Amino acid sequence: MPLSHGLLMSLYALLVSVFFALLWKRERKHQLKLFLQLFIGMVGGALLLAWLMYPFPSGPPTPFP
Amino acid sequence: MTEAGSQTERPGEQSQQLSARTMATLLAAWLVPGAGHLMLGKLRRGVIFFLVVLTAVAVGCLLEGNLYRVLPNQPLTILATLGSMGMGTPYFILRFIFGYQGNIVAAGYEYGSAFLLTAGLMNLLLILDAWDIVRGRKA
Repeated sequence: MPLSHGLLMSLYALLVSVFFALLWKRERKHQLKLFLQLFIGMVGGALLLAWLMYPFPSGPPTPFP
Repeated sequence: MTEAGSQTERPGEQSQQLSARTMATLLAAWLVPGAGHLMLGKLRRGVIFFLVVLTAVAVGCLLEGNLYRVLPNQPLTILATLGSMGMGTPYFILRFIFGYQGNIVAAGYEYGSAFLLTAGLMNLLLILDAWDIVRGRKA
């Protein structure tokens, strides 16, 4: 299993977006619209947050107990 | 008289049938993700829900995430366990047949735990959705 943060985040966003689009909307057009809103909101929001946090130092790695 | 009597019995019979049907649908919806929608004739939605929940479970297992169980002196694990058990049959198969626990030192442990817990919570929402459809609150 590839451990790419971006890939896993996108996969999670994809599954959750498909799920809620089908759960909350009944018409195909509305489902597609909600899916795009959720997917772009989650992935875009995460990327934006990551970009805003970029200047902060990450510090040394936490030792495993 | 007989006809009138049978007519008065029909609503009771119908409500009893509806109640049994509701219970069967909710049980199926819990045991197999998407099965409640399939029983209600929502074929497309049922199949997609099944695939979505099962994909989340499969990815969670591949990442060796935590399949929550109740731990002593950790009350929040009760909620997490109930949430995870929401996925129905897959939870019990993983836990009791395969003895799956997750691997806390695996690199994908946190991600996998999120996928597994989300699968359970999604199926709980599917049960509520099926209930709404049975009761005519939703299409």
